[in-house]
Amino acid sequence: MALSKVCGLDESWESYNFEAPAPEVSGMKLNQPRLSLDEFAVGLSMPSVDVNQKVVQALLEDESDVQVEHQKVANPRALFLHGTTTLSFKFQGGVMVAVDSRASSGQQISSQTVNKVIPISKYLLGTMAGGAADCTYWMRVLNRQCRMFELRNRERITVSAASKLLSNMLYGYKGYGISIGSMIAGYDKRGPGLYVIDNDGLRVAGNCFSIGSGSPYAFGVLDTEYRYDLTDKEAYELARRAIYHATMRDPYSGGNVSVYHIKETGWVKIETQDVSDLFYKDRGL
Amino acid sequence: MNPFNYNGGVCVAMKGKNCVAIASDHRLGAGRLTVSTDFPKVFEMGPALFIGLPGLTTDSLTVVNKLKFRVNLYELRENRKIRPHTFKAMVESMLYERRFGPYYVASVIAGLDPETDEPFVTAMDVLGAGEVNEPFAVAGTAEESLLGLCEALWEPDLAPEDLFETLSQVILNAVDFDCLGGAGATIHVIEKDKVTTRTIKTRMD
Amino acid sequence: MATATFFDPESSGFQFDNYARNQQLVKQGIKPPKLMKTGTTTTAVIFKGGVVLGADTRATGGNIVMNKNCSKIHYLAKNMYCLGAGTAADTEYTTRLMAGKLELLAMSMRRIVPVKSAVRMLKQMLFRYQGHVSAALIVGGVDMLGPKIVSIAPHGSSDNAPYLAMGSGSIAAMSVLETNFRPDMTAEEAVKLVRDAINAGVTNDLFSGSNIDICVITIDGAQVIRPYEQNQPEVLKKANNYTFPRGTTTVLSQGVRKVDYHIVSTEIRKTDEEPMET
Repeated sequence: MALSKVCGLDESWESYNFEAPAPEVSGMKLNQPRLSLDEFAVGLSMPSVDVNQKVVQALLEDESDVQVEHQKVANPRALFLHGTTTLSFKFQGGVMVAVDSRASSGQQISSQTVNKVIPISKYLLGTMAGGAADCTYWMRVLNRQCRMFELRNRERITVSAASKLLSNMLYGYKGYGISIGSMIAGYDKRGPGLYVIDNDGLRVAGNCFSIGSGSPYAFGVLDTEYRYDLTDKEAYELARRAIYHATMRDPYSGGNVSVYHIKETGWVKIETQDVSDLFYKDRGL
Repeated sequence: MNPFNYNGGVCVAMKGKNCVAIASDHRLGAGRLTVSTDFPKVFEMGPALFIGLPGLTTDSLTVVNKLKFRVNLYELRENRKIRPHTFKAMVESMLYERRFGPYYVASVIAGLDPETDEPFVTAMDVLGAGEVNEPFAVAGTAEESLLGLCEALWEPDLAPEDLFETLSQVILNAVDFDCLGGAGATIHVIEKDKVTTRTIKTRMD
Repeated sequence: MATATFFDPESSGFQFDNYARNQQLVKQGIKPPKLMKTGTTTTAVIFKGGVVLGADTRATGGNIVMNKNCSKIHYLAKNMYCLGAGTAADTEYTTRLMAGKLELLAMSMRRIVPVKSAVRMLKQMLFRYQGHVSAALIVGGVDMLGPKIVSIAPHGSSDNAPYLAMGSGSIAAMSVLETNFRPDMTAEEAVKLVRDAINAGVTNDLFSGSNIDICVITIDGAQVIRPYEQNQPEVLKKANNYTFPRGTTTVLSQGVRKVDYHIVSTEIRKTDEEPMET
């Protein structure tokens, strides 16, 4: 079977009897079969007890500490990468994607060099906003799903299909406190594609988006200057400037601005620039 | 939310050999918006006396005006410049008076005694509790980082130039990991015969 | 003269002008900030002819140590000292206020103020504020009635005993006191006992730590030993000198691992020192 070859499994795997009693290994009895079908399950295992309604409520509402059975629990949401500025827009030359690189937990900056653009394939990019762990995990799941699609169907997945896969998966966990705000951008047989996805199951196609705490500021620049017929150079400059101005105004965004361009031939990383350097360059210091 | 996190900002002061230095960042926020990047929180109270007031900015400005008023009255009545430890008592009693409805400001005071040229540095919480015998004083959103950096980098008997370098590195490295501080910094180095004020380059994001 | 609405330099007592505003801020989700606390282990012991008071020197703000060498032995009168635990500002001001009152009282009575008078004044003051002034005190001193130690809780109740402990480390300290206290100890034995009790607090309570301060009061006077014992671990001593070379600013381009900064503007100003009139 082609799939088993792709997965790196030999022929004997297919004839493996999962139900058979575990073999003796050097006097030790193994209770579990060596290979469990559960390992191939997609998604998270459900909580074995009821998710505490109070925790979930607090997760969704605010950032204050949660009172759970007379015990003060720090709201897990405070550990998330809520502050972010990401943007993406379609234009005549394809799709632009630009992001900042700051990770914060509460008011503390945890990193200034986070990569918030995740390549899903040569033609597809995803952006990260919300919980870092949630984003990386679900992007990895999406990555695998897209690859499996390609192997099964012998053609590239469309941006529309990829974003719908993620959106559907997230909808299944609606209300569990997952925090993701992502843009899936790419180029497929239908041309450039751009979708916004979030943890509530939202999925919208469009020409120009920004997500994250810095998005109002990014939109301010983006909406003023955006045209579909921007030249490539103008588009890079607009994407860079929108993120740069957002990082200046939003305390939870900063670090570097990274710009990506998705063309018919796949995505290219255009540049990564320190926003503080941009600031002082502007002023000739 | 904590009132200190609404506007953001930090202050730090250090003793050197026959000199003191006090620094603050320039950021003024309003919740999740950076309003200004030209807002130092250190105020002049005399020729060689400064107070840094990070906290809720509305209170910082009220407190600094009230203090300037009291200092002016004191100096007119006494016909001499106020000494740092007298000024400290003034700030303390003003803050503790409002024990049950405090001004949301922490204070960092730095100065040279006009009579003995003795360096003086202190920090207080919102109620006016603080110690005077520490070689450095910190307050504001990156308080913990500042405290750690001061503890690691401070050395006794620093000359004015070295004190400037050390204090610069302390505030720079602290605000680099603080979302709510930064965006420029001002450092005043107070010596017997001059005050040197420098603006240093920091990250602006 | 019209009433000074905004500022009255001669006003005294607590001001409540920010109270309503702060309550409103709480409703809007802006909670009061953390206060400096002295988690604290304090103990006091009576020995033959005097008292010994002892305290740790840690001050905390939330979960961090704000001061490693703060003084918790407060002066009340020549024959009387007070140990403070609780909110740092409250213990400081309550004892400072009382020291002033006792001095005035001593001058008008023309004799040493008895410890019990000071205790009565303190507890009446704390009771008036219904525990909102969070000062947990131990008053110790020697007067015409002999040595005396009394603890006062923030609500105003007091407790007489030959040995006392207060603060978050009091449980650890009390276990030592209960085991080793004997009546009519010598001064040296009492100091040793107090030291051991504080040390139990320092080692077992997270909110107590650093040095141990001790105060011995006899009829001949008071002696504050600060620090009596230093507890700075060897690892805390700096192995290196971290002074930055002058002009670190200008050599940044060499790629040394430091955070970049340049002087953007420099302003040198002479302080206009006026001649002092005498």
